[in-house]
Amino acid sequence: MILKHMLGTLAFFLLTTIPAAAVSMEPMATIKAPVDAVIVILNDPEHKVKGNKSAQRDEIWKVVKPMFDFDEIAKRAVARNWSDFNDAEKAEFTDVFAQFLGNTYIDKIQGEYHNEQIVYLGQDFYSDTYAEVKTQIVRETLKIPVNYRMLKGGEDRWMVYDIIVEGVSLVKNYRTQFASILSKDKPAQLIQQLNDKLAKQNKRLAE
Amino acid sequence: MKPRRSFLILMVWVLIVSVAWASPPTAVSADAPPEDVVASADPIPFDPFDDPSGDSYGDKDLMLQAVADPIVGFNRAMFVFNDKLYFWVLKPVASGYRVVVPTPVRVSVKNFFFNLLGPVRFVNCLFQGKWRSAEGEFGRFVVNSTAGCLGLFNLVSDKPQFNPPEEDFGQTLGYYAVGNGFYIIWPLFGPSTLRDTVGSIGDWALNPVSFMQLVNVDAGELTSTTTNVTAYSVRVVNDTSFRIGDYETLKNAALDPYEAFRNAYIQNRLSKIAQ
Repeated sequence: MILKHMLGTLAFFLLTTIPAAAVSMEPMATIKAPVDAVIVILNDPEHKVKGNKSAQRDEIWKVVKPMFDFDEIAKRAVARNWSDFNDAEKAEFTDVFAQFLGNTYIDKIQGEYHNEQIVYLGQDFYSDTYAEVKTQIVRETLKIPVNYRMLKGGEDRWMVYDIIVEGVSLVKNYRTQFASILSKDKPAQLIQQLNDKLAKQNKRLAE
Repeated sequence: MKPRRSFLILMVWVLIVSVAWASPPTAVSADAPPEDVVASADPIPFDPFDDPSGDSYGDKDLMLQAVADPIVGFNRAMFVFNDKLYFWVLKPVASGYRVVVPTPVRVSVKNFFFNLLGPVRFVNCLFQGKWRSAEGEFGRFVVNSTAGCLGLFNLVSDKPQFNPPEEDFGQTLGYYAVGNGFYIIWPLFGPSTLRDTVGSIGDWALNPVSFMQLVNVDAGELTSTTTNVTAYSVRVVNDTSFRIGDYETLKNAALDPYEAFRNAYIQNRLSKIAQ
Protein backbone atom coordinates (compact mmCIF):
# COMPACT_ATOMS: atom_id res chain seq x y z
CA MET A 1 0.00 0.00 0.00
CA ILE A 2 2.61 2.46 1.11
CA LEU A 3 4.81 1.39 -1.78
CA LYS A 4 2.02 1.96 -4.24
CA HIS A 5 1.42 5.37 -2.80
CA MET A 6 5.09 6.21 -3.05
CA LEU A 7 5.23 5.09 -6.65
CA GLY A 8 2.23 7.23 -7.38
CA THR A 9 3.92 10.23 -5.85
CA LEU A 10 7.09 9.47 -7.76
CA ALA A 11 5.21 9.18 -11.04
CA PHE A 12 3.44 12.45 -10.36
CA PHE A 13 6.76 14.06 -9.52
CA LEU A 14 8.42 12.80 -12.68
CA LEU A 15 5.52 13.79 -14.87
CA THR A 16 5.44 17.31 -13.56
CA THR A 17 9.17 18.03 -13.41
CA ILE A 18 10.53 16.49 -16.60
CA PRO A 19 8.59 18.64 -19.05
CA ALA A 20 9.55 21.71 -17.05
CA ALA A 21 13.23 20.79 -17.33
CA ALA A 22 12.89 20.29 -21.06
CA VAL A 23 11.29 23.69 -21.52
CA SER A 24 14.11 25.57 -19.79
CA MET A 25 16.55 24.22 -22.43
CA GLU A 26 19.66 22.92 -20.80
CA PRO A 27 22.96 24.01 -22.38
CA MET A 28 23.40 20.69 -24.17
CA ALA A 29 19.95 20.82 -25.69
CA THR A 30 20.68 24.36 -26.85
CA ILE A 31 23.61 22.98 -28.84
CA LYS A 32 22.02 19.76 -29.97
CA ALA A 33 18.87 21.20 -31.55
CA PRO A 34 20.58 23.51 -34.07
CA VAL A 35 23.41 21.05 -34.77
CA ASP A 36 20.90 18.33 -35.60
CA ALA A 37 19.00 20.79 -37.77
CA VAL A 38 22.19 21.66 -39.66
CA ILE A 39 22.87 17.99 -40.34
CA VAL A 40 19.37 17.64 -41.76
CA ILE A 41 19.98 20.63 -44.03
CA LEU A 42 23.35 19.20 -45.11
CA ASN A 43 21.74 15.87 -46.02
CA ASP A 44 18.76 17.47 -47.75
CA PRO A 45 18.82 16.23 -51.35
CA GLU A 46 17.32 19.52 -52.51
CA HIS A 47 20.64 21.20 -51.70
CA LYS A 48 22.75 18.63 -53.48
CA VAL A 49 21.80 20.36 -56.71
CA LYS A 50 24.54 22.57 -58.02
CA GLY A 51 24.06 26.28 -57.56
CA ASN A 52 21.95 25.80 -54.47
CA LYS A 53 24.88 26.33 -52.17
CA SER A 54 24.20 29.88 -51.19
CA ALA A 55 20.58 29.10 -50.33
CA GLN A 56 21.83 26.27 -48.16
CA ARG A 57 24.36 28.56 -46.54
CA ASP A 58 21.66 31.09 -45.67
CA GLU A 59 19.50 28.37 -44.23
CA ILE A 60 22.32 27.04 -42.04
CA TRP A 61 23.21 30.53 -40.90
CA LYS A 62 19.62 31.17 -39.86
CA VAL A 63 19.64 28.03 -37.70
CA VAL A 64 23.08 28.50 -36.21
CA LYS A 65 23.26 32.23 -35.59
CA PRO A 66 21.00 32.33 -32.50
CA MET A 67 23.28 29.77 -30.83
CA PHE A 68 26.07 32.30 -30.53
CA ASP A 69 26.46 35.41 -28.45
CA PHE A 70 28.46 37.40 -30.96
CA ASP A 71 28.59 40.52 -28.77
CA GLU A 72 30.30 38.46 -26.14
CA ILE A 73 32.60 36.73 -28.65
CA ALA A 74 33.73 40.02 -30.15
CA LYS A 75 34.25 41.63 -26.75
CA ARG A 76 36.25 38.69 -25.46
CA ALA A 77 38.38 38.40 -28.57
CA VAL A 78 39.36 42.07 -28.40
CA ALA A 79 39.67 41.94 -24.59
CA ARG A 80 41.87 44.74 -23.25
CA ASN A 81 41.51 46.90 -26.34
CA TRP A 82 37.72 46.90 -26.33
CA SER A 83 37.61 50.25 -24.53
CA ASP A 84 39.47 51.85 -27.45
CA PHE A 85 36.49 51.11 -29.68
CA ASN A 86 33.71 53.71 -29.78
CA ASP A 87 30.11 52.50 -29.84
CA ALA A 88 29.79 52.59 -33.61
CA GLU A 89 33.06 50.70 -34.01
CA LYS A 90 31.97 48.11 -31.48
CA ALA A 91 28.74 47.48 -33.37
CA GLU A 92 30.43 47.35 -36.75
CA PHE A 93 33.23 45.10 -35.55
CA THR A 94 30.79 42.66 -33.95
CA ASP A 95 28.75 42.50 -37.12
CA VAL A 96 31.69 41.97 -39.48
CA PHE A 97 33.38 39.45 -37.21
CA ALA A 98 30.14 37.45 -36.90
CA GLN A 99 29.68 37.33 -40.67
CA PHE A 100 33.30 36.40 -41.18
CA LEU A 101 33.13 33.52 -38.69
CA GLY A 102 29.81 32.34 -40.11
CA ASN A 103 31.12 32.32 -43.67
CA THR A 104 34.35 30.57 -42.77
CA TYR A 105 32.88 27.69 -40.82
CA ILE A 106 29.68 27.18 -42.81
CA ASP A 107 31.78 26.96 -45.95
CA LYS A 108 33.92 24.33 -44.23
CA ILE A 109 31.03 22.08 -43.20
CA GLN A 110 29.28 22.57 -46.54
CA GLY A 111 32.35 21.55 -48.45
CA GLU A 112 33.42 18.68 -46.29
CA TYR A 113 30.56 17.07 -44.49
CA HIS A 114 31.03 13.31 -44.85
CA ASN A 115 28.57 11.93 -42.33
CA GLU A 116 30.63 12.83 -39.32
CA GLN A 117 28.87 11.85 -36.13
CA ILE A 118 28.48 14.21 -33.22
CA VAL A 119 28.81 12.58 -29.81
CA TYR A 120 27.57 14.52 -26.80
CA LEU A 121 29.81 13.69 -23.87
CA GLY A 122 28.24 15.83 -21.18
CA GLN A 123 27.88 19.27 -19.69
CA ASP A 124 29.68 20.91 -16.80
CA PHE A 125 28.27 23.81 -14.85
CA TYR A 126 30.62 26.32 -13.39
CA SER A 127 27.77 28.40 -12.01
CA ASP A 128 24.18 29.22 -12.81
CA THR A 129 25.33 31.31 -15.73
CA TYR A 130 28.40 29.48 -17.03
CA ALA A 131 28.48 26.02 -18.56
CA GLU A 132 30.58 23.92 -20.89
CA VAL A 133 29.12 21.34 -23.27
CA LYS A 134 31.58 18.65 -24.33
CA THR A 135 31.19 17.00 -27.69
CA GLN A 136 33.23 14.97 -30.09
CA ILE A 137 33.18 14.97 -33.86
CA VAL A 138 33.80 11.43 -35.01
CA ARG A 139 35.23 11.32 -38.50
CA GLU A 140 36.11 7.83 -39.68
CA THR A 141 38.61 6.83 -37.00
CA LEU A 142 39.37 10.33 -35.81
CA LYS A 143 37.83 11.82 -32.69
CA ILE A 144 37.97 15.60 -32.57
CA PRO A 145 37.01 17.10 -29.19
CA VAL A 146 34.87 20.23 -29.50
CA ASN A 147 33.74 22.05 -26.36
CA TYR A 148 31.20 24.85 -26.32
CA ARG A 149 31.51 27.38 -23.52
CA MET A 150 28.21 28.96 -22.78
CA LEU A 151 26.86 31.90 -20.90
CA LYS A 152 23.35 32.60 -19.76
CA GLY A 153 23.39 36.33 -20.21
CA GLY A 154 21.03 39.18 -20.79
CA GLU A 155 18.61 37.28 -22.99
CA ASP A 156 18.21 34.66 -20.24
CA ARG A 157 19.06 31.74 -22.46
CA TRP A 158 22.24 29.76 -22.97
CA MET A 159 24.47 31.12 -25.71
CA VAL A 160 27.93 30.12 -26.90
CA TYR A 161 30.74 32.57 -26.23
CA ASP A 162 33.72 30.37 -27.10
CA ILE A 163 34.45 27.13 -28.92
CA ILE A 164 37.41 24.99 -27.95
CA VAL A 165 38.59 22.59 -30.63
CA GLU A 166 41.34 20.18 -29.63
CA GLY A 167 42.23 22.40 -26.71
CA VAL A 168 42.43 25.54 -28.85
CA SER A 169 40.07 28.33 -27.88
CA LEU A 170 38.78 30.25 -30.87
CA VAL A 171 38.40 33.44 -28.87
CA LYS A 172 41.91 33.25 -27.45
CA ASN A 173 43.35 32.48 -30.85
CA TYR A 174 41.79 35.64 -32.27
CA ARG A 175 42.78 37.55 -29.16
CA THR A 176 46.49 37.15 -29.91
CA GLN A 177 45.97 38.11 -33.53
CA PHE A 178 43.84 41.16 -32.72
CA ALA A 179 46.19 42.22 -29.93
CA SER A 180 49.14 42.27 -32.29
CA ILE A 181 47.20 44.22 -34.94
CA LEU A 182 45.84 46.69 -32.39
CA SER A 183 49.29 47.26 -30.93
CA LYS A 184 50.15 48.98 -34.22
CA ASP A 185 46.83 50.04 -35.73
CA LYS A 186 43.62 51.77 -34.73
CA PRO A 187 40.35 49.84 -34.28
CA ALA A 188 39.09 51.30 -37.57
CA GLN A 189 41.98 49.65 -39.39
CA LEU A 190 41.27 46.28 -37.82
CA ILE A 191 37.65 46.58 -38.93
CA GLN A 192 38.90 47.51 -42.40
CA GLN A 193 41.11 44.41 -42.51
CA LEU A 194 38.22 42.19 -41.50
CA ASN A 195 35.98 43.86 -44.06
CA ASP A 196 38.53 43.27 -46.82
CA LYS A 197 38.80 39.64 -45.87
CA LEU A 198 35.05 39.31 -45.75
CA ALA A 199 34.66 40.91 -49.19
CA LYS A 200 37.22 38.52 -50.67
CA GLN A 201 35.47 35.62 -49.01
CA ASN A 202 32.05 36.65 -50.30
CA LYS A 203 33.47 36.99 -53.79
CA ARG A 204 34.96 33.51 -53.63
CA LEU A 205 31.78 32.01 -52.22
CA ALA A 206 29.66 33.63 -54.92
CA GLU A 207 31.64 31.89 -57.66
CA MET B 1 79.79 3.80 -35.75
CA LYS B 2 80.63 7.46 -36.05
CA PRO B 3 77.34 9.04 -37.11
CA ARG B 4 75.56 7.37 -34.24
CA ARG B 5 78.03 8.62 -31.70
CA SER B 6 77.77 12.16 -33.00
CA PHE B 7 74.03 11.88 -32.89
CA LEU B 8 74.17 10.89 -29.23
CA ILE B 9 76.44 13.83 -28.52
CA LEU B 10 73.97 16.11 -30.29
CA MET B 11 71.14 14.72 -28.21
CA VAL B 12 72.99 15.28 -24.97
CA TRP B 13 73.83 18.80 -26.08
CA VAL B 14 70.23 19.61 -26.94
CA LEU B 15 69.16 18.26 -23.56
CA ILE B 16 71.67 20.45 -21.75
CA VAL B 17 70.67 23.51 -23.73
CA SER B 18 67.01 22.89 -23.07
CA VAL B 19 67.57 22.52 -19.37
CA ALA B 20 69.55 25.73 -19.38
CA TRP B 21 66.68 27.36 -21.27
CA ALA B 22 64.13 26.03 -18.88
CA SER B 23 65.21 28.30 -16.07
CA PRO B 24 65.83 31.91 -17.06
CA PRO B 25 64.08 32.85 -20.30
CA THR B 26 60.90 31.11 -19.36
CA ALA B 27 59.89 33.92 -17.08
CA VAL B 28 56.78 33.57 -19.19
CA SER B 29 56.11 29.89 -18.86
CA ALA B 30 58.39 28.23 -16.31
CA ASP B 31 57.23 30.62 -13.64
CA ALA B 32 53.81 29.19 -14.02
CA PRO B 33 53.76 25.96 -12.05
CA PRO B 34 51.78 23.07 -13.50
CA GLU B 35 48.82 23.91 -11.28
CA ASP B 36 48.58 27.19 -13.09
CA VAL B 37 48.49 25.45 -16.40
CA VAL B 38 45.73 23.26 -15.09
CA ALA B 39 43.85 26.29 -13.89
CA SER B 40 43.87 27.88 -17.32
CA ALA B 41 42.59 24.79 -19.02
CA ASP B 42 39.94 23.75 -16.58
CA PRO B 43 36.30 24.15 -17.47
CA ILE B 44 36.04 27.35 -15.47
CA PRO B 45 35.13 29.74 -18.20
CA PHE B 46 37.33 32.71 -18.34
CA ASP B 47 35.54 35.99 -18.32
CA PRO B 48 37.71 38.95 -19.14
CA PHE B 49 35.20 41.47 -17.81
CA ASP B 50 34.07 40.23 -14.47
CA ASP B 51 36.68 37.70 -13.50
CA PRO B 52 36.81 37.74 -9.70
CA SER B 53 40.57 37.12 -9.68
CA GLY B 54 41.04 40.65 -10.97
CA ASP B 55 42.50 39.50 -14.25
CA SER B 56 40.12 41.69 -16.18
CA TYR B 57 41.65 41.51 -19.60
CA GLY B 58 42.93 38.00 -20.03
CA ASP B 59 46.51 39.06 -19.43
CA LYS B 60 47.28 35.85 -17.59
CA ASP B 61 46.05 33.86 -20.54
CA LEU B 62 48.01 35.93 -22.99
CA MET B 63 51.09 35.48 -20.85
CA LEU B 64 50.60 31.77 -20.55
CA GLN B 65 50.19 31.48 -24.29
CA ALA B 66 53.06 33.79 -25.09
CA VAL B 67 56.09 32.02 -26.46
CA ALA B 68 59.49 33.48 -27.25
CA ASP B 69 60.12 33.63 -30.98
CA PRO B 70 63.70 34.79 -31.42
CA ILE B 71 64.14 33.09 -34.78
CA VAL B 72 60.95 34.51 -36.26
CA GLY B 73 62.63 35.15 -39.64
CA PHE B 74 63.62 31.51 -40.03
CA ASN B 75 60.24 30.36 -38.71
CA ARG B 76 58.27 32.50 -41.12
CA ALA B 77 60.36 31.16 -43.99
CA MET B 78 59.74 27.59 -42.82
CA PHE B 79 56.05 28.35 -42.43
CA VAL B 80 55.91 29.34 -46.09
CA PHE B 81 58.01 26.31 -47.05
CA ASN B 82 55.74 23.86 -45.21
CA ASP B 83 52.67 25.62 -46.55
CA LYS B 84 53.87 25.14 -50.12
CA LEU B 85 54.88 21.59 -49.35
CA TYR B 86 51.36 20.92 -48.12
CA PHE B 87 49.58 22.43 -51.10
CA TRP B 88 51.97 21.22 -53.79
CA VAL B 89 52.90 17.77 -52.54
CA LEU B 90 51.24 16.45 -49.41
CA LYS B 91 47.66 17.46 -50.21
CA PRO B 92 47.58 16.12 -53.79
CA VAL B 93 49.30 12.91 -52.71
CA ALA B 94 47.05 12.39 -49.71
CA SER B 95 43.91 13.21 -51.72
CA GLY B 96 44.84 10.68 -54.38
CA TYR B 97 45.73 8.14 -51.73
CA ARG B 98 42.36 8.74 -50.11
CA VAL B 99 40.57 7.98 -53.36
CA VAL B 100 42.61 4.89 -54.18
CA VAL B 101 42.92 3.30 -50.75
CA PRO B 102 39.65 2.23 -49.11
CA THR B 103 38.85 3.66 -45.70
CA PRO B 104 39.21 0.38 -43.74
CA VAL B 105 42.75 0.01 -45.06
CA ARG B 106 43.62 3.59 -44.17
CA VAL B 107 42.20 3.03 -40.71
CA SER B 108 44.32 -0.11 -40.32
CA VAL B 109 47.46 1.69 -41.42
CA LYS B 110 46.72 4.39 -38.86
CA ASN B 111 46.07 1.78 -36.18
CA PHE B 112 49.29 -0.04 -37.02
CA PHE B 113 51.51 3.00 -36.53
CA PHE B 114 49.54 4.09 -33.50
CA ASN B 115 50.06 0.69 -31.92
CA LEU B 116 53.75 0.64 -32.83
CA LEU B 117 54.24 3.81 -30.81
CA GLY B 118 52.29 2.43 -27.84
CA PRO B 119 55.43 1.72 -25.79
CA VAL B 120 56.54 5.34 -26.18
CA ARG B 121 53.23 6.63 -24.83
CA PHE B 122 53.32 3.99 -22.09
CA VAL B 123 56.75 5.09 -20.87
CA ASN B 124 55.66 8.72 -20.85
CA CYS B 125 52.61 7.82 -18.75
CA LEU B 126 54.99 6.19 -16.28
CA PHE B 127 57.32 9.21 -16.30
CA GLN B 128 54.38 11.36 -15.26
CA GLY B 129 53.11 8.89 -12.67
CA LYS B 130 49.86 8.40 -14.56
CA TRP B 131 49.37 4.79 -13.57
CA ARG B 132 45.81 4.45 -14.81
CA SER B 133 46.77 5.74 -18.24
CA ALA B 134 49.83 3.49 -18.29
CA GLU B 135 47.60 0.52 -17.53
CA GLY B 136 45.30 1.50 -20.36
CA GLU B 137 48.16 1.92 -22.83
CA PHE B 138 49.64 -1.40 -21.78
CA GLY B 139 46.35 -3.26 -22.04
CA ARG B 140 45.56 -1.84 -25.45
CA PHE B 141 49.05 -2.63 -26.71
CA VAL B 142 48.85 -6.25 -25.57
CA VAL B 143 45.37 -6.82 -26.98
CA ASN B 144 45.93 -5.09 -30.30
CA SER B 145 49.39 -6.50 -30.91
CA THR B 146 48.07 -10.04 -30.55
CA ALA B 147 44.35 -10.35 -31.20
CA GLY B 148 44.46 -7.14 -33.24
CA CYS B 149 46.95 -8.62 -35.75
CA LEU B 150 50.07 -6.56 -34.94
CA GLY B 151 47.95 -3.50 -34.32
CA LEU B 152 46.06 -3.42 -37.59
CA PHE B 153 42.82 -3.45 -35.64
CA ASN B 154 41.94 -1.48 -32.59
CA LEU B 155 39.67 -3.84 -30.70
CA VAL B 156 39.18 -1.58 -27.70
CA SER B 157 38.52 1.73 -29.45
CA ASP B 158 35.19 2.20 -27.69
CA LYS B 159 36.46 1.49 -24.18
CA PRO B 160 37.50 4.75 -22.51
CA GLN B 161 39.74 3.08 -19.93
CA PHE B 162 41.91 1.71 -22.75
CA ASN B 163 42.09 5.04 -24.53
CA PRO B 164 43.83 7.46 -22.19
CA PRO B 165 45.05 10.85 -23.47
CA GLU B 166 48.16 10.39 -25.59
CA GLU B 167 51.36 11.27 -23.76
CA ASP B 168 54.68 12.20 -25.30
CA PHE B 169 58.04 13.27 -23.93
CA GLY B 170 57.42 16.95 -24.62
CA GLN B 171 54.38 16.70 -22.36
CA THR B 172 56.43 14.84 -19.74
CA LEU B 173 58.90 17.74 -19.69
CA GLY B 174 56.00 20.19 -19.54
CA TYR B 175 54.53 18.23 -16.67
CA TYR B 176 57.73 18.87 -14.73
CA ALA B 177 57.37 22.58 -15.47
CA VAL B 178 59.93 22.79 -18.26
CA GLY B 179 58.93 25.82 -20.31
CA ASN B 180 58.52 26.00 -24.06
CA GLY B 181 61.92 27.59 -24.55
CA PHE B 182 61.17 29.15 -27.90
CA TYR B 183 59.08 28.48 -30.95
CA ILE B 184 60.62 26.56 -33.87
CA ILE B 185 59.06 25.56 -37.16
CA TRP B 186 60.95 22.63 -38.60
CA PRO B 187 60.88 22.03 -42.33
CA LEU B 188 58.80 18.88 -43.04
CA PHE B 189 58.00 18.30 -39.35
CA GLY B 190 56.13 21.52 -38.69
CA PRO B 191 55.64 23.64 -35.57
CA SER B 192 57.40 22.80 -32.33
CA THR B 193 59.23 24.44 -29.47
CA LEU B 194 62.65 23.79 -28.06
CA ARG B 195 61.12 21.66 -25.32
CA ASP B 196 58.94 19.70 -27.70
CA THR B 197 61.85 19.18 -30.09
CA VAL B 198 63.84 17.62 -27.28
CA GLY B 199 60.70 15.63 -26.52
CA SER B 200 60.41 14.41 -30.08
CA ILE B 201 64.03 13.29 -30.05
CA GLY B 202 63.38 11.44 -26.81
CA ASP B 203 60.31 9.78 -28.27
CA TRP B 204 62.19 8.95 -31.41
CA ALA B 205 64.92 7.26 -29.36
CA LEU B 206 62.26 5.34 -27.44
CA ASN B 207 60.52 3.90 -30.44
CA PRO B 208 61.52 0.27 -30.89
CA VAL B 209 63.17 0.61 -34.30
CA SER B 210 65.35 3.63 -33.50
CA PHE B 211 66.22 2.13 -30.15
CA MET B 212 67.69 -0.89 -31.93
CA GLN B 213 69.62 1.49 -34.15
CA LEU B 214 70.95 3.46 -31.22
CA VAL B 215 72.26 0.39 -29.42
CA ASN B 216 73.69 -0.92 -32.66
CA VAL B 217 71.44 -3.90 -33.18
CA ASP B 218 71.46 -4.63 -36.87
CA ALA B 219 68.03 -5.88 -37.78
CA GLY B 220 68.69 -5.69 -41.51
CA GLU B 221 65.98 -3.99 -43.57
CA LEU B 222 64.02 -3.11 -40.46
CA THR B 223 66.63 -0.70 -39.20
CA SER B 224 67.72 0.72 -42.54
CA THR B 225 67.26 4.44 -43.14
CA THR B 226 65.27 3.81 -46.31
CA THR B 227 62.73 1.75 -44.41
CA ASN B 228 62.42 4.42 -41.76
CA VAL B 229 61.95 7.25 -44.22
CA THR B 230 59.39 5.23 -46.16
CA ALA B 231 57.51 4.33 -43.01
CA TYR B 232 57.46 7.95 -41.90
CA SER B 233 56.21 9.14 -45.28
CA VAL B 234 53.45 6.55 -45.38
CA ARG B 235 52.40 7.54 -41.90
CA VAL B 236 52.27 11.24 -42.73
CA VAL B 237 50.33 10.70 -45.96
CA ASN B 238 47.95 8.29 -44.28
CA ASP B 239 47.33 10.61 -41.32
CA THR B 240 46.82 13.57 -43.64
CA SER B 241 44.23 11.62 -45.63
CA PHE B 242 41.93 11.88 -42.60
CA ARG B 243 42.42 15.60 -42.15
CA ILE B 244 42.32 17.13 -45.62
CA GLY B 245 40.74 20.55 -45.36
CA ASP B 246 41.43 21.20 -41.70
CA TYR B 247 44.63 23.11 -42.34
CA GLU B 248 42.93 25.20 -45.02
CA THR B 249 40.08 26.17 -42.70
CA LEU B 250 42.36 27.32 -39.93
CA LYS B 251 44.45 29.24 -42.42
CA ASN B 252 41.46 30.91 -44.06
CA ALA B 253 40.00 31.82 -40.70
CA ALA B 254 43.12 33.73 -39.69
CA LEU B 255 44.06 37.36 -40.21
CA ASP B 256 47.68 36.45 -39.63
CA PRO B 257 48.08 32.71 -40.30
CA TYR B 258 51.60 32.54 -38.87
CA GLU B 259 50.46 33.98 -35.58
CA ALA B 260 47.25 31.94 -35.55
CA PHE B 261 49.11 28.65 -35.98
CA ARG B 262 51.71 29.57 -33.40
CA ASN B 263 49.03 30.32 -30.84
CA ALA B 264 47.04 27.22 -31.77
CA TYR B 265 50.14 25.07 -31.32
CA ILE B 266 50.88 26.50 -27.87
CA GLN B 267 47.24 26.27 -26.74
CA ASN B 268 46.98 22.69 -27.95
CA ARG B 269 50.16 21.69 -26.13
CA LEU B 270 49.08 23.46 -22.93
CA SER B 271 45.80 21.58 -22.96
CA LYS B 272 47.57 18.27 -23.53
CA ILE B 273 50.02 18.88 -20.72
CA ALA B 274 47.12 19.74 -18.42
CA GLN B 275 45.34 16.49 -19.24
